[in-house]
Amino acid sequence: MIENIIKAYNEAVYETDKEAAFDVVNSALAQGMSAEEIIFQVVIPAVEEMMSLIVKDPDANLAQHFMTAQIAAEVTEKMLLLFESPPEIIGCIVMGTAAGDLHSLGKRIVMGCLKALMVEVIDLGVNVTAEKFVDEAVAHNAQVIGISAMMVHTAMGEHGCPEVRKLLKERGLEDKIKIIVGGAPYRYDEELYKKVGADTWARDGVSAGKVIVDLIKEVKSHVTA
Amino acid sequence: MSPLEILNAAVSGEPAPRIPIFCNLLDQGARELGLSQKTYYSKGEYVAEGQLKMRARYGYDNVWSLFYVGKEAELLGCNDILFCNDGAPNVADFVIKNYDDIAKLEIPENLTDHPAWTETANCLKILRSEVGNTHPICAYLTASTTLPAILMGMDKWMDLLMSKDTDIRDELLRKCSLFFEKEIAAYREAGANVLVYSTPFGSTSFVGMKRFHEFSLPWMQRDLAAGGVNDLTYYCGMLPFNNVITQIQETLKIGSYYISPMADLAEAKAIIGTSGLTCGVIDDIKMIHWSSEQTRAEVKRLCDIGKVGGHFLFGTGVMPLQTPEENIVAMLEAAFEYGRF
Repeated sequence: MIENIIKAYNEAVYETDKEAAFDVVNSALAQGMSAEEIIFQVVIPAVEEMMSLIVKDPDANLAQHFMTAQIAAEVTEKMLLLFESPPEIIGCIVMGTAAGDLHSLGKRIVMGCLKALMVEVIDLGVNVTAEKFVDEAVAHNAQVIGISAMMVHTAMGEHGCPEVRKLLKERGLEDKIKIIVGGAPYRYDEELYKKVGADTWARDGVSAGKVIVDLIKEVKSHVTA
Repeated sequence: MSPLEILNAAVSGEPAPRIPIFCNLLDQGARELGLSQKTYYSKGEYVAEGQLKMRARYGYDNVWSLFYVGKEAELLGCNDILFCNDGAPNVADFVIKNYDDIAKLEIPENLTDHPAWTETANCLKILRSEVGNTHPICAYLTASTTLPAILMGMDKWMDLLMSKDTDIRDELLRKCSLFFEKEIAAYREAGANVLVYSTPFGSTSFVGMKRFHEFSLPWMQRDLAAGGVNDLTYYCGMLPFNNVITQIQETLKIGSYYISPMADLAEAKAIIGTSGLTCGVIDDIKMIHWSSEQTRAEVKRLCDIGKVGGHFLFGTGVMPLQTPEENIVAMLEAAFEYGRF
């Protein structure tokens, strides 16, 4: 039974068919699967499957990224209400778009995937100052700051990632908080993330999920070591 | 030959001394005139002066009538643009805040009567008067499938696009397509002669092939049905689209293609061949950190691929303000050198 559910759910996600995905989930619930089983055996593996497919598939596109995240976030939200006890959260990220940038799509895709991957996401919105990124990361004990920038000047600008890096350094937080960046300029120049002082980057919103989970684990292992 | 004649020769395959060389310096105009972005973009005469001065300084072929992309949103009611002095302005007030606003969205009967058009018209009037007979004057027009992104935000537009509620979606698209028809007519009337059709949803990097056929292509056909495509360049916001060029040629009959730096230029040139114009575009985001030698080498690579057989133009992408002056100079010197026949 579980194999058929996983297959049907994966197909729905790949085809960006949200209604079909919910039909699969509702059917699984009706057949006796628990919400926990649906999340950990169907939804999370499906997000991971999409991460790997998107990297390999030359036809993978923004609409698929968007719907993968949307479906994952909405199914997770619904299933969490049915959990017998709150799930274990992997870690926390504060996310926003860089100062001067009002593009929110990429951030939303990342947030959708992270929700399913059991990462707590603090959404700082758009046009976020460097001080706010750092202050909020400290306030929420976040392991990662995620900065989205769709334009070159917001990716490279002195009020964006370079300033966040400077503040982390000044406050001695570089081992406790890592920076991930994403957005169009980084796709055209794959070395750009280093030049703006980020620890890493992700090519797209869905792949970002795995990169962020790995980054959280890295920080946690460093802090507990 | 004048730059306009060189462009026309490249399109038609007639002999010319060199390839056309286009450079998109937009926000640099404010720096050129010593003005803030907000002041610079407040007057068409400033934008025209900035364009003319930079073209004169660097010697490339084209000028732009584009202020910033959000100008189109202003024609539809946007009242707030976020200006900054180190990059392109952003739309800060979405005209469509909820789906009810789609019904209320009104396309002006005559765009040229709209106050937001006045400065664009002033800019075009100066450009036409100064270089209209000799140089290409570019205009930027957003396709109906992409315009909603600057009216409601890309994520809200993706929500609507991917929902099953096609009635509301199509109502918005019909309005955006009507706007496009009026806008392209207004630009042509005002003297723009290179019309860049910005259509990121015309790339399968945005939507899959199925949705490209069922959604993007029919709406592009509708956009372009009334006005023709002779002066149009297909542009997907720097996204690759080699895999749909043949379909665009067959369906929309567009001749000029602005190829993404991420795409295989040789492949694009082979597909387009002598039937139109292949525009080879440098990755000007990487160029920010290149040396002059790296910049020259990349220009040479593009020209070596594209120049054979003619029907080729060298162009730039977004040319960020952060691009070093020496790389702009190196790029253009190399383009004139390696673009010579």
